[in-house]
Amino acid sequence: MRKYKISNLLGIGVLLMTLAFAVSSCLDLDEDPAKSRLAPGSYSNQAELELGVTGLYVQLEAMARMTTFMVSGWGGDDITTHKVSNKADFREYDQRSVSALNARSATNWASIYSVVRAANNVIANAKDLKLSDQNAQNRLMGETYFMRALVYMHLTRIHGRIPLQLQPEPIVDLPLASQEEVYKQIESDLKQAEAMLPLIYPNVSAGAPRPNQGSAKAILARLYLDWAGYPAKDQSKYALAAAKAKEVIDNQKSYGFSLVTDLESLWTIANRFNSESIFTIVYNQPLGVGNRKYGMLGHPSDLKGWQETFGEIRFFEDFPAGPRKAATYRLDYDWENFTDQTNPVFKKIVGPKGDIPLTSFDTDRNDYYMRLAEVNLIFAEASGRSGNVTPAAWEALNQIRRRAAGKPFATPDPSVDLTSGDIAELAFTERKWEFAGEYLRWNDLVRMERVKEALSQRNPRTSKNKAGELLKVSNPIIGSLEKDNYFAPIPQNEVNLNPNLGN
Amino acid sequence: MLEMSIKLGKYLGVLFLLLCFGTAFGQAQVTGKVYDASDDTGIPGANVLVKGTTTGTSTDVDGNFTLNLTQNDAILVISFTGYTTQEIPVKKGSKVEVRLEASSKLLSEIVVVGYGTRKKSDVTGSVAQVGTKDFKDQPVTRVEEALQGRASGVMVSRSSGNPGGAIKVRVRGVNSITGNNDPLVVVDGVIGLALNSINPNDIESMEVLKDASATAIYGSRGSNGVILVSTKKGSSKPRLDVDVFTGFSYVPKFIDVLGAYDFARIENSRRINNGGNAVFTDQELAGFQANGGVDYQRELFQTGRTNNVQLSTSGRSGKINYFVSGNYMKQDGIVMTTRYSRLSGRVNVSSDITDKLRVGVNLFATRENNHNNLDDQREYQGSMILRALTWDPTTPIRNDQGVFNNYSLRSLAHLGYNPIADMSTRDLNLITDRFNANINVNYRFNDHFSYTAVGGLGSSNSTNSKYLTTPPFPAAFFNNGQTSLLQMSNIMAYEQVFGKHNLKVTGVYEFQQNTYSGNGYSATNYLVPSGFYLAELAAGKNLSNDYNKNGIESLMGRAEYIFNDRLFLTGTVRRDKSSRFRKDKNVGIFPSVALAYNLSSLPMLAAVESITNLKLRAGWGQVGNQNIAPYSTYPSVNINGGYPFDGKSLTPGSRPDGYGNADLTWETTTQYNLGVDLGLFQNRINVSVDAYQKKTTDLLLNVPVPAFAGGGAVLRNVGEVENKGIDLSLSGAVINKQNFRWDATMTMSKIANKVVKLDGRSEIQGSFLNIDGSGRALNVIQVGQPLGQFYGETFLGTWKTAEADEALKVGAKPGDSKYLTDENGVTVLQAIGNGMPKFSWGFNNTIAYKNWDLNMFINGMSNFQILNVTQGLVVGATGNQRGFLSPTQLNQWTPTNETDIPVGGQNRTASSRYVENGAFARLNNVSLSYTFKKIKGIESLKVYASGQNLVLITGFSGYDPEGSDRNYDGGNDDTAAGVNVGAYPNPRTVTFGIKIGL
Repeated sequence: MRKYKISNLLGIGVLLMTLAFAVSSCLDLDEDPAKSRLAPGSYSNQAELELGVTGLYVQLEAMARMTTFMVSGWGGDDITTHKVSNKADFREYDQRSVSALNARSATNWASIYSVVRAANNVIANAKDLKLSDQNAQNRLMGETYFMRALVYMHLTRIHGRIPLQLQPEPIVDLPLASQEEVYKQIESDLKQAEAMLPLIYPNVSAGAPRPNQGSAKAILARLYLDWAGYPAKDQSKYALAAAKAKEVIDNQKSYGFSLVTDLESLWTIANRFNSESIFTIVYNQPLGVGNRKYGMLGHPSDLKGWQETFGEIRFFEDFPAGPRKAATYRLDYDWENFTDQTNPVFKKIVGPKGDIPLTSFDTDRNDYYMRLAEVNLIFAEASGRSGNVTPAAWEALNQIRRRAAGKPFATPDPSVDLTSGDIAELAFTERKWEFAGEYLRWNDLVRMERVKEALSQRNPRTSKNKAGELLKVSNPIIGSLEKDNYFAPIPQNEVNLNPNLGN
Repeated sequence: MLEMSIKLGKYLGVLFLLLCFGTAFGQAQVTGKVYDASDDTGIPGANVLVKGTTTGTSTDVDGNFTLNLTQNDAILVISFTGYTTQEIPVKKGSKVEVRLEASSKLLSEIVVVGYGTRKKSDVTGSVAQVGTKDFKDQPVTRVEEALQGRASGVMVSRSSGNPGGAIKVRVRGVNSITGNNDPLVVVDGVIGLALNSINPNDIESMEVLKDASATAIYGSRGSNGVILVSTKKGSSKPRLDVDVFTGFSYVPKFIDVLGAYDFARIENSRRINNGGNAVFTDQELAGFQANGGVDYQRELFQTGRTNNVQLSTSGRSGKINYFVSGNYMKQDGIVMTTRYSRLSGRVNVSSDITDKLRVGVNLFATRENNHNNLDDQREYQGSMILRALTWDPTTPIRNDQGVFNNYSLRSLAHLGYNPIADMSTRDLNLITDRFNANINVNYRFNDHFSYTAVGGLGSSNSTNSKYLTTPPFPAAFFNNGQTSLLQMSNIMAYEQVFGKHNLKVTGVYEFQQNTYSGNGYSATNYLVPSGFYLAELAAGKNLSNDYNKNGIESLMGRAEYIFNDRLFLTGTVRRDKSSRFRKDKNVGIFPSVALAYNLSSLPMLAAVESITNLKLRAGWGQVGNQNIAPYSTYPSVNINGGYPFDGKSLTPGSRPDGYGNADLTWETTTQYNLGVDLGLFQNRINVSVDAYQKKTTDLLLNVPVPAFAGGGAVLRNVGEVENKGIDLSLSGAVINKQNFRWDATMTMSKIANKVVKLDGRSEIQGSFLNIDGSGRALNVIQVGQPLGQFYGETFLGTWKTAEADEALKVGAKPGDSKYLTDENGVTVLQAIGNGMPKFSWGFNNTIAYKNWDLNMFINGMSNFQILNVTQGLVVGATGNQRGFLSPTQLNQWTPTNETDIPVGGQNRTASSRYVENGAFARLNNVSLSYTFKKIKGIESLKVYASGQNLVLITGFSGYDPEGSDRNYDGGNDDTAAGVNVGAYPNPRTVTFGIKIGL
């Protein structure tokens, strides 16, 4: 009986204790993500804004490090790829038969819009931000607008008309904007950037790893040159292109820009920060953000390469001999007798001899998103096309010609210099050689409607192998060379998700 | 396959019929013998009673008895302390043999139903039970293996043969498209533990709660079914058991790939076809023909070895019951250097402190080590197996200096790192330490009231350290994750009998909290290739951190009413409050009702002798799914990585990541169930059939956002999925003689799954991205179709010479692959198959003859397809695989022999070309054992040999139709069931073992 009572008491004791524990439980049912996550939404200080802006670079780099970013460049008459290997997506561009299922187009499209989304977020989150350091806020916002413009321009060069997403909340049924609307949006962002960015971004290396006012102006000049050509063909923009380019050339010292003396030095890892780049995308292989467009990708399998990016034979044949050709191609190779595929190898891709190991596809090479040389040639060409040719325009062209001939670019040299002729066409051709293998040629052919003219003449004329056989063009054209096939189709998946993009 | 299972069913039926004629006629006496079923020795002093009378007797020293009958038919009730009572129908003059099962088997009559146990006969819901006896004849190293094919409505598929690899368990299909479809696991009352870490030898029984009337007591976590695991307790007789086995496993088949000579020859022709140059000279070809090159597939596989030692002791001493066990298992995989080991220990002790108070403590600790686990180290473009299958057979493993050739010497076939070099030099160790403590206190106030408290504490600490040697520089990755779980359950139970009325009421208050904290680093570009512990020397270093916490608080009530042992009524309601949803959305109420009626007691059925038991069950209930990641309702910011502005160091950056959705709430599944339990011939044959319909609404669905709007997906509550199915379980004693007993169990499940509604769209793309670099999803979710739809091109063979002009329009030439296009020439992407099995079955046989025991377990699945992307890559010329490697290529298109094997064009791996029938039947287990009896000083001694996966009947061309993959970055593996991107094959295993009981 007594035992019964004790156990009863004990039981009740245990019960009460447990209940007490239960009721006073420390269970917290309100989630607080802040302990392990950065809070989304409006910024309250400079550090948050800086994080957001750096995030744009992280996204940009994630896509720019792959050749996918440059896939439309294979459309040009300067670049080709392997005939058989797993480069089908590049071959589609090379052979002018780009499918809506092209995986590189789709990846690139998605990556561009993830930068756009991030930029839209920064703009929205900083809307009510008032930093005590107004210069810092301007600088950071200027970068944001610059970045959004940069990627939209990159995309419109591939696809033409695109949807314009300009706010952080996704609008899933946007239509395609007209070409005019796209250019105006890019112009507006670049003008904001031009107004907000400093002359030189503080505490950065040479080559504008963070853009300055000059960078924005240079990209604006590029935009106007495009705008004046196909498909918008607003000829009045040539004058604007020339004017913007001239602003950059005239003030290059204040922006920290200048041409380098030796063209070949640009393609070395040692010289990856240089004054000629008006906007540099920076890489660091050991830190996991290496540049995967160079090295192995430009070598044939004879040299254990991945044979993605080759020079076209006819273009190589036509390329004027001289220091510029030597800086563009690896002339030390007996490329006509490679066993796998016989195409010239770009020094711009694989680097000068010994600079990048044969086994390396992930490098520290930086990207020069745009070079000052291009500003010079935009000035020369746009001056010609707008009918306002000045000695300064000839000088801009001649500087590039002198360097190409291995002479000091700033010293007039009658053996090289030109002072008469169709400066626009001379500059257009100068671009062809100067930017060979830099994925820019395709866009020149588009804007001047010269795709058919250029790509109809790709068959080699003089290059022969040991056996004396004339080499053949690597990837013959199979698609249309007419204007309706200039732009790549919008990725099919996107059209499936938003049929408005199909119109 | 369906046909085959029907045939098996018929076969079983015929056997059952044969049994019905076994009764004798004659004299007024009944004689018999009562045996101990475990060792067939006679039981002296057992009680034999004629049911409904006081006539009875006891057995003699040998277990024999004689009894006079007054009526022609009678039922004998035979009982003995420590054994399960049996009722045997007899006629005058019959001679009967009765085998009593030891009382540890009593559990088989008791069913664990969650927050309590019930007599099997009182259960109203749909519950499947798997006890130790069901799998004791098979050497199991994993709990899931014990479940496979033994519980109807439960599909267990071994998607990876990796030792310690994932085993998928699904109860009655899949409901959730985005969330997790794993059933809830409750171990001795503690919710949410991992099934794969439990030592199967510690398990007394597992109950699978299938319908909503059974699972609704687990509310918001019950929608995928619930598996209740009960571990062993000590019984009266102290004993010591030792179980040792060793097994050998190997890959059951090899996939056909080209040898070096054929590969080189076809590579030459492929290049020439495309206007290129041959890469191999005739001399080299002759060399390959003579020497054969390297077969990387065979180099990768090995014979694996498994060793298992299990020691346990149990018993009762005074008022204390104990069960103590230790287990060590080491399993070498069939892929070189893969290994899994597990060391575990358990102590279950309970004590009757007074006759009212009982306290029990269960402690369980394990250490698992997963070495070079291929499932953990997923490869972005296909698995290691796939890499070995597609690696260049013309490149030797090592060069003349004995150093590994890291890459193909001529950049042929797979462009990745040499798989043999990789596996030989990598060092990955995922070590998980788990500790679970469970304290339960039970106090009986009186005959009617009792209170139980269960306190559960679980902690798991896993360190994942990886050293990878991928050229040019090695890299190390480290992550440490700590999970802790705290649960407190308070259970009040009331039970009272009022005449023919029996009432039970249960009330529960419970809460649980889980926290996770993880920290890690990566060290890339080792300057000196010196192993994991010299990460300080790496040039690139990166940090990662994560923390989350979630909790749930619940109230549950259950009322059961039984009238006259005929009518059974159960009603439950659970209220859950979860931290995963916002304040106004975080409470869910989940009700259920179930009704059962025992027809066998009706007069008209009582007259039918053969029917011993006939029970009808009907149930309805609602359960939920809250299985989304913590913080899913909030937008998130990605802070990984950084940008090297100065070219030397990374500056961190932030960018928008998840969109967040504050409106999220539970997924709700409403289920109807109708069931019949039929017992024939004194329950010698038992049939259980359940039909059900489940409808899941407010699906937690990842709705894709178009890339131009930011990409990714938003989690929303939209859509509906329906599952309808039938579960059948048929078991019986085919032969029941003294020295010869054959028990057979057949389970079958048929399921029809359908997506009823999405967010207004007719389809959304899945998230399992192809491994060919195309960035395209392999799966699609379509209204009106089951989950698991494959998405891709329709393959039409090759373009023929006569179609050259037409081919040119899509940029192709004769001999290139041809795919279905629409009128505009755009390639059509559509559903091309479904990977979710719609029919599964298991057939388990245990035959005991004298000292011999034979167990044979066959199971199968059918009505599904496999998207064999692996084969697509073996064929090649796509993704990372640049050449042709399939023997089918020997019959490739030529201008003179225009076959449908393309010589060029796009090889789309997600196309109907690689969709295959996945149906299979597998001889899952055969084991034969011999028991030595009456050895002095030894209670029992048993030696056995067994084989797993000895026979696989399937038309599938790959390793194993059950082998399927998960997406590279995880994700729901049910929406992309049946996708094979290089799954680790299931091994064939032969095992030898010995069991000693003292």
